[in-house]
Amino acid sequence: MQPSVDQWSDARSPSSALAGGRDWLVDWLAKRALAVSVLAAMISLGGALLIARPIQFAMGVAGASATQAAQDAFATLVSTPQLVAEGAGFFGQSCGDCHGDDARGDEGPDLHGLAISNGRIAATIKHGVKGEMPSFARKYGDAQIAALVVYVRSLR
Amino acid sequence: MSIDPTIWPKLHGASTHFPVALAMAAALFDGLSVFGFVSPSLRARLRAAGYFTVILGALGTFPAVLSGLFMTKGNVLGHDATLFHHLFVWPAFACIVGLGTWRALVGERATPRGFAIYLAVLLVTAGLMAGAGYWGGELILNS
Repeated sequence: MQPSVDQWSDARSPSSALAGGRDWLVDWLAKRALAVSVLAAMISLGGALLIARPIQFAMGVAGASATQAAQDAFATLVSTPQLVAEGAGFFGQSCGDCHGDDARGDEGPDLHGLAISNGRIAATIKHGVKGEMPSFARKYGDAQIAALVVYVRSLR
Repeated sequence: MSIDPTIWPKLHGASTHFPVALAMAAALFDGLSVFGFVSPSLRARLRAAGYFTVILGALGTFPAVLSGLFMTKGNVLGHDATLFHHLFVWPAFACIVGLGTWRALVGERATPRGFAIYLAVLLVTAGLMAGAGYWGGELILNS
């Protein structure tokens, strides 16, 4: 049976919800609701920011920073015709079989007009996609991957 | 034993929509309840809905924030879309926890002035939550 409106109101009344000896505590808290709320917000926010530190240590922030720095380096790549041609060569060697020689997609997706960052493209080439695309980290160094990124970015 | 590295993005995605939706729903319910054309019976129901949604929304932020911290390896600001996401997330988190606590403590005892201030902050918080969700979506699509 659905509770009536009055029953809902009763359920939301701290004094009736916590009847008996705890009334004084509820009243005390209710009178200081603003201060308690601000305190709860500060403790929650401060706690979240504080817990970030041990998480950084536990999850190896140095490695994360190195990865981030590597991705940032790809963000500032400058496209030159030479680099595009170099990337096209690598693409033909390693990527065309799945993405199609014109990169319009075959087994793998169409790579024209990708709406992801250079860093993400580079990371995908480097690490692959589990179960879908192999990693090329052993085959290509950062310079070759940069050429591939520039080539893929040039596809419109 | 190694943990699947994609577990945190998955958990963050699974947990983060609840507080966003609940905060916006609380703003909607409590916002509607102040209009004059609303009957006393409907007003009580809207306030009850607003009460539960804001408290559940506040509780729901904790798993969302925790999974987000693990996902970013403890990075609380970041850059680009991540920075924008976090600039909305942290104030929204503090506000919704404060609002949920206040609403839980005050219940139906709020003065009209107190409720009006609560509602104004709740509307701002819902906006912050929506902004956090928007920039979170940008992270998925464009990062």
